[in-house]
Amino acid sequence: MTEPGNAVAEAGGTPPHTTTAPADARPPRPGKARGGWWGGDASEPVRRNLGLVGVLVLLYLIGVFSRPDIFASGARLWSNELTVLTQAASIGVITIGMTFVMISGGIDLSVGALLALASVWSTTVATQSYGPGVMIFTALAVGTVAGAVNGILIAYGRMVPFIATMALMVAARGLSQKISGKLTQISKVDTINKIAETKVLGIPLLVIIFGAVAAAGWILLNRTTFGRRTVAIGGNPEAARLAGINLRRHQVLLYALSGLCCGIAAIMVTSLSNAGSSDHGNLYELQAIAAAIIGGTSLAGGRGTIVGSVLGVLVFTQITNLFIVNNLQLEFQLIAQGAIIVGAVLIQQFRVAALRRPAPPGA
Amino acid sequence: MTAQDPVVLRLAGIVKTFPGVRALDGVELEVRAGEVHCLLGQNGAGKSTLIKVLAGVHRPDAGEIVWQGEPTSFSNPQAATKAGIATIYQELDLVEDLTVAENVFLGHEPRTGGFVQRGRMRRSTREILGRLGHAEIPVGRAVGKLPAAAKQIVSMGRALSYDARLIIMDEPSAVLAHDEVANLFRVIRDLTAQGIAVIYISHRMEEIREIGDRVTVLKDGRTSAVNLPARTTPTAELVSRMTGRSIEYVFPDRPAPAADRPSAPLLKVEGLTRHGEFTDISLTVGAGEIVGIAGLVGSGRSELLETIYGARRAHAGQVRVDGRSLPAGQVGAAVRAGVGMAPEERKSQALVLDEPIYRNVTLASFGKYATGGFTNADRERKAAEKVADALALHPRDVRRPVRTLSGGNQQKVVLGRWLLGQGTKLLLLDEPTRGVDIGARAELYQVIRALADDGMGVLLVSSEVPEVLGLADRVLVMREGHLIHEAPAAQLDEETVLDLVMAGSLLEVTAP
Amino acid sequence: MSRTPGDLSRRRLLMGGAALSAGTLLAACTSNAEPKTSDAGQTKTGSGDNAAPGKTVTIGFSAPSADHGWIRAITDNAKKQAALYSDVKFTQVDAGKDAPAQVAALQTLIQQKPDAIVLLPQDGAQLTAAGKAAMQAGIPVINLDREFSDAGASRLLIKGDNYGMGYAAGLYIGNKLKGKSDAVIAEIAGIDSLPLTQDRSKGFKDALATFNLRVTNRVAAQFTVQSGQDVTANLLQAASKIDAIWNHDDDQGVGVLAAIKQASRKEFFMVGGAGSLDVMEHIKAGDTPLEATVTYPPSMASSAIALARLIAQGKGLSDLVELQVPKQIVLASETITKENVDKYLPLGFRS
Repeated sequence: MTEPGNAVAEAGGTPPHTTTAPADARPPRPGKARGGWWGGDASEPVRRNLGLVGVLVLLYLIGVFSRPDIFASGARLWSNELTVLTQAASIGVITIGMTFVMISGGIDLSVGALLALASVWSTTVATQSYGPGVMIFTALAVGTVAGAVNGILIAYGRMVPFIATMALMVAARGLSQKISGKLTQISKVDTINKIAETKVLGIPLLVIIFGAVAAAGWILLNRTTFGRRTVAIGGNPEAARLAGINLRRHQVLLYALSGLCCGIAAIMVTSLSNAGSSDHGNLYELQAIAAAIIGGTSLAGGRGTIVGSVLGVLVFTQITNLFIVNNLQLEFQLIAQGAIIVGAVLIQQFRVAALRRPAPPGA
Repeated sequence: MTAQDPVVLRLAGIVKTFPGVRALDGVELEVRAGEVHCLLGQNGAGKSTLIKVLAGVHRPDAGEIVWQGEPTSFSNPQAATKAGIATIYQELDLVEDLTVAENVFLGHEPRTGGFVQRGRMRRSTREILGRLGHAEIPVGRAVGKLPAAAKQIVSMGRALSYDARLIIMDEPSAVLAHDEVANLFRVIRDLTAQGIAVIYISHRMEEIREIGDRVTVLKDGRTSAVNLPARTTPTAELVSRMTGRSIEYVFPDRPAPAADRPSAPLLKVEGLTRHGEFTDISLTVGAGEIVGIAGLVGSGRSELLETIYGARRAHAGQVRVDGRSLPAGQVGAAVRAGVGMAPEERKSQALVLDEPIYRNVTLASFGKYATGGFTNADRERKAAEKVADALALHPRDVRRPVRTLSGGNQQKVVLGRWLLGQGTKLLLLDEPTRGVDIGARAELYQVIRALADDGMGVLLVSSEVPEVLGLADRVLVMREGHLIHEAPAAQLDEETVLDLVMAGSLLEVTAP
Repeated sequence: MSRTPGDLSRRRLLMGGAALSAGTLLAACTSNAEPKTSDAGQTKTGSGDNAAPGKTVTIGFSAPSADHGWIRAITDNAKKQAALYSDVKFTQVDAGKDAPAQVAALQTLIQQKPDAIVLLPQDGAQLTAAGKAAMQAGIPVINLDREFSDAGASRLLIKGDNYGMGYAAGLYIGNKLKGKSDAVIAEIAGIDSLPLTQDRSKGFKDALATFNLRVTNRVAAQFTVQSGQDVTANLLQAASKIDAIWNHDDDQGVGVLAAIKQASRKEFFMVGGAGSLDVMEHIKAGDTPLEATVTYPPSMASSAIALARLIAQGKGLSDLVELQVPKQIVLASETITKENVDKYLPLGFRS
């Protein structure tokens, strides 16, 4: 028989009596024409994230003004910013996973607890005795499996993501306390502890891992079918389902991905603090959500960028750094962070409104 | 309406500009108390914007609104509502989980000291629904459980609860079946008899003839004709005011019954059942054949289509495509077997509105353009552009968000999704021309017929009997979950089908 | 294109097998069995007549179960101490997660009519009324560390000395940096909103002032390892040269030491706080800038149980002339250095 699908263009291309719509009835063009090297898919996030770059520049200027000895001196600035990036690495990796989940219209409240669980599970006396390879495998496996449990509860148990991941947030903390006996599990494995001290070409290894995860996340989101499915599900789950996308399987994969990020971050935190602890990753869920949100990720799903999330994390980490180098106390820092969240979201709402405004009128 | 009736609303020189577009460019409008004033215009002519100006959603950049003799400017929708202008949008803005009474009084519940007087609210709602001739709608039922027609009545009830003097109805008949439209007209006549003015927007000429008093025509954001008599102005004149040329409601020719059609049907449905929705449905669609299903909203036709597609899980029965049985409740399997669907609710079921056109076109097939999991945007764009050309999509720039397209063009995007060469053999179309203007409809009909001519099977659901009769080769009639009649379209006429289709009142046809 | 069922099931089997073995491995990894068990915090039963078994008494115990080495050591020590006596029945009730939960738990305990109650409150002020109720029911209450707002709510108060702890740290640092008026002295506090943190900081500041020294950089962590690492990493950027650091809490100290190691900084010395086993071992080994720690001993829980037993049995302290146990005991904060660390090692708790 014939292949009707292949005939698309030919079939539709010359319909017998095509009625052409009046030429002047075409919907209007948006205010600015697209184009240039930044055109296409990349333009949107870049423009959206310019605001955050501006905030970072502003923070840098505050640094220059308040601590010129650090921010205006090449060597100390380099050292300070590498510290900022190192301290941003673990929450940054978590935020990448969170960004995927949020773009799909979900949320993962369990990230901090999964980090703790992975760090504790991978630093027990027994695990440590198997050496660094097994420790790393354990952290990644525990994170991924626990994340998949989230996904299964949501996709097949039809639980609301908020509730399913909240349950895991509580349960995973409990389990990690049970395993650790509420003790700090000091890492005696040098290879693990050395990860945080290693530098490659002057760049800390943790920063390189963070960069690699972010780059992989960017590619995954913008250049793969996985990313496309994620955006489609978040933008309109019903449309995605009716287009034949397997919604449930994808949800499981998404939360497993977030769990994997928790496992990676767990290794980072274990290495940084030379210990596994059920206290690790405290409030990471809120920090990651906040960073993703100021990076332009929508809580309603369908919208978000990796670059924005990375910038969001850097803004928060840089603020912490600025407050400490200026010997200011924590409470001001919390106020500043709250103000930035509100400011960033307000700006984005105006921008989104501006983006949608040129919709054609007409009935 | 008589010439003596006072003018309740007068618009002069209304201008509204959005970045990059002049949506309204000098609109005039005059509405008298107790009249049904029809607003005509193609998609994109500015009707929606004009409604939103009246409803207080947009503020005009220039021009004058005179409401009941006073120059007015509504700063927000609440202000417009308070002043007595109620708007019933195409997509009804009801809260599905609230009851009928709660919806009618949403935002202005009768209360004493912060407590809602539920009894009084119910009584008032009952009285309002009575005024609308639909006292049978239970005020305590959740709105989500009502059929579309009843929802519309609830929307009108809400307008009346504000003591509206002007009700704007944006394509109220689009979601209604034939007998429900008659019902709606009765309600509108009751309203106008009470001195309430109605602005009525519709694409259907016969409705305008029947219910309208005067017509104002919009074209490209300007009024091209005002206050034409609705009953006597020739259609040709109205159409030319809208477009500058005449458009006929043209159906493409049916091919002669082909002898060479494959004997085995493309789609074979046997005993398909979903409890409470439809029972024991058996039908076939051949390659190259367009089969139309006529039936009222609530007759189970949309549910049947979604079940064939796997979006709902069948309780019993089988669906075979090309002889191979499809697993129940798996859309992915249906798509892989070559089935495509354009669902009833374009915006909520088919499109990712903020994503660009090309990504919506390739939503079901982007994996086919990918290599090893990596998407190929260039190939997708080229494929989408080809389809856009074939379907005469406006605008041609496939990187624009779908949100910015008109209804007809959005529908083309959904259709185009299945025309990318992924081997779609069977198209399931649910109300493919809802909210699509006359010109674009004819185009869609041509496209659908051309696809069938090329060997695709089409199963079509429509509320508009002429559409089913004009487009389909064979017609199935559905009522209350059962297939009750089947005949070649050429052997049926509109009245026969309507007789078969219509039964019962508004609520009896509700899906339980 | 189509997969045969056989393929599928074999694939499942393989994957299942892999998952199973990974699971077994992971499960094995949760074991925390130590090769040797340390008896940290273990104390003695006392001597003389008081050690001899008397009438059997029931001691009720309630303390928060925060995920923190010191708090955990409190409960462990109380349990172990009680186990040393043949005439003590030990009843523990969970303190729940906040003060109201602990009030409720305490009411249950009072119903059981124990002979004494040892209580480390979630919050001293919020549990004062509960303490009073127990006292009125004729049950002596031993208030551990976090002080009630009314002295009448307890028979005995045993507490550490937060101010004294800060003062001791200040003395140690001051003595070493005497005369160096431009010395860079950093303080890594715990949770800043707690009164105990404020007391420690005040003691530290006051002691330094006697040497004309002051705290130049102050950061606050959260009593957790990770927060200790985070604030310290930034602190070390803030000051390119430091003379001394006092860290309030040895639990978060694990992270502090990690950050110092990662920054390869050695120019300063550091004083810890509380007295964990880990810190004592570092002091003994001299492998970190950590030179000393000022104690806030969780052994107070052991003493509280011992004294609760005496109170319940109506006995006094054998070395005191008085016939009853005193009303208040404030433990001195001691300074552990390389010289005396061996003596304190048995009291160190695992963080």
